[in-house]
Amino acid sequence: IVSSQLFPAACFRNIHCTAACLKNRAARIRVGKGDKSVTYEQAYHPHHIGHRKGWLSQHTSNLQGEDGAAERVVEDVFIRRFMYGTFHGCLADEVVIKRRGNLLVICAVMIQKLLPSKFYFLIGYTEELLSHFYKCPVKIEMQTVEEKVVYKYL
Amino acid sequence: MHITLTSFSSAQKLFSLSQESGKNAAKYFINTYPKYFQKDYAQPHIPCLMPETLEAQIEEVSEAALIERIHMRKVEAAVDLYDQLQQAGTPVSLDVTNQLLDLICFYGDSDPAQENVPKQRKNTLSYHKRTPCLVFSFRENNNAERIFALLSEPNTHSYSALIRGMVKYCAYSKAFSTYTDLLNNRLKADVNTFNALITAAPEVKEKYNEKWELIVDLLKEMAEQKVKPNLLTLNAVLKALRHCGTLGKSQAFPVISEMKALSIGPLKTHSHAFPIMLCSAGCCFMVTHFRMARDPVYHLYLQCLDTKDIEQAYRVHELLGVGENWRLLGKDLQQNIYYARFFSLLCMMENIDVMLKWYRDLVPSVYYPSSNIMRDLLQALDTDNRLDLIPQIWKDIKQLGHANRQKLVEDLLTLMAREKQNQEESFAECALDIKKMYDTGDRGKVIMSWTATSLSDIISVLLAAQRRQDAWEILKLFKTHNRVPSEELLNKFLMCIMESGEVNHAVELVQISAGFCLPETPKLIQRVQQEFQLSEQQK
Repeated sequence: IVSSQLFPAACFRNIHCTAACLKNRAARIRVGKGDKSVTYEQAYHPHHIGHRKGWLSQHTSNLQGEDGAAERVVEDVFIRRFMYGTFHGCLADEVVIKRRGNLLVICAVMIQKLLPSKFYFLIGYTEELLSHFYKCPVKIEMQTVEEKVVYKYL
Repeated sequence: MHITLTSFSSAQKLFSLSQESGKNAAKYFINTYPKYFQKDYAQPHIPCLMPETLEAQIEEVSEAALIERIHMRKVEAAVDLYDQLQQAGTPVSLDVTNQLLDLICFYGDSDPAQENVPKQRKNTLSYHKRTPCLVFSFRENNNAERIFALLSEPNTHSYSALIRGMVKYCAYSKAFSTYTDLLNNRLKADVNTFNALITAAPEVKEKYNEKWELIVDLLKEMAEQKVKPNLLTLNAVLKALRHCGTLGKSQAFPVISEMKALSIGPLKTHSHAFPIMLCSAGCCFMVTHFRMARDPVYHLYLQCLDTKDIEQAYRVHELLGVGENWRLLGKDLQQNIYYARFFSLLCMMENIDVMLKWYRDLVPSVYYPSSNIMRDLLQALDTDNRLDLIPQIWKDIKQLGHANRQKLVEDLLTLMAREKQNQEESFAECALDIKKMYDTGDRGKVIMSWTATSLSDIISVLLAAQRRQDAWEILKLFKTHNRVPSEELLNKFLMCIMESGEVNHAVELVQISAGFCLPETPKLIQRVQQEFQLSEQQK
């Protein structure tokens, strides 16, 4: 955000310089030819949250009088990227993050791409690393499916 | 991509080990790059989630720096620093020097090895041998003795540290000479020193009675110096007695009663075990079975099994519920052995209802039984005439991964074939399941081979359930697997066929038996001719 002062009478002009992020294009998969498979999460658009979809991130900082919402968002973004990279190609759907008190629960659905022992290795690694990073206990609840669960084709 | 492991217990071990190694990988990263993990979000502060500081903070040559290095267990750095302090002329207090001596004697003059191996492996390796003398043996001019010599007035603590270090690292005669030094300086030894010396006593003398006399002398001196023996003393005496052969066995009893009189130790593991031991068949067993001070539990079991004492077994099992005793159970291998013995004892001695209660309690939450235990269980079912439970047990067997153990499956089939009650349908389902087990040969699975008995058993079970078609297919398997059916099997089959009135089948049966050149083929032919109206072609 840049401000320029034209006259000492304090005339400000602000320039917004982030990437364009249209609110009517976010998290919506547009209808196409019919060959693109889409999960339940992806099929329903953001205005269906609360009606046909649940929340992907559950914490109490959006309640009246609670603070820390922005920090939680940043943590969530980091955790999602971390999971995407660590379990590369194995995530079947979005990661759900729940916070109960001090505990951070990461719920993920994985495709059975790796051996179970490798999954356990990565789970141990992720839990330990994230606990030390965020200074709170982190638990991963994982479920595996054979293939990505397709809801419909768009 | 599936992987089938041979049993649940091996899968469980593999998975917990892989999770453990993942944690170690993360710890490596955290400790190698600590600057990324310094930001502290937690209020109050959680120290275990911060990266470990492995580097000493205080750099200057001072006593505080020495104390810090001792706390961080950096043996060589501490010794260097001590030398530097001596050369600089700074006096180091006796307490700190004692701490340094403790450190050196505990870790044997070299830094403790970094722990890279997952914890399970180490235990299983060192379990069955008596821990052989550790790599470091007290060299001639090592740091401990040197620093000790530099002390102007060593006190009890310093002597104690030195003697315990010597005993730990197998320098037994030196330990005793140091003890004599201590007495010459008119100092008193403390209880830890005596414990160490008692442990060392059997190594210094040759004959059993000399060893015992030395131990008695030490105990007498302990009494003279008014040092109270404690639980570790008792342990040390018993361990030493182990080396004294038969003499040790006879002496053990009085030792224990004396210790009880002194009311050694609170309700700790060992003293709790002793009253039980004393009740049972003589405590000579105890000394011989007391192989490791930490794992007496299933040795108690060995003893119970010998005497077939189920009450004893229950009491030992209750012991496990008291306080910290569950640690006595040891790691997976020992746990498996313990539960295996417990179950076999139960199968032998108790009736089936009690057995099943224990089974449902412990399996599979605590223990995955092996196939031998399942065979014992089947035998117990047989004894008590509860063969109707077989289908449930078969489901459990499949889940545990024992479905491809030949002996177990054959036993199961024999029991099912023998039973002539109204469980036919469920038995038949089981039998067909078992047949599938024989057929599917996934890579990695042990393939079972058919025997004549197992084939006949399956056929009898299927016939009893009136499943003629399935029985027929299995009969054909006799030929493919080169097994010969028995006479009574063929007779049974014939009776079944007669009931159904299928003439073609009867003729085929005769042809099969002729194909095997069985001696009773003519009899079969006769019977078939009698019972059925055969067409000319069929004759």
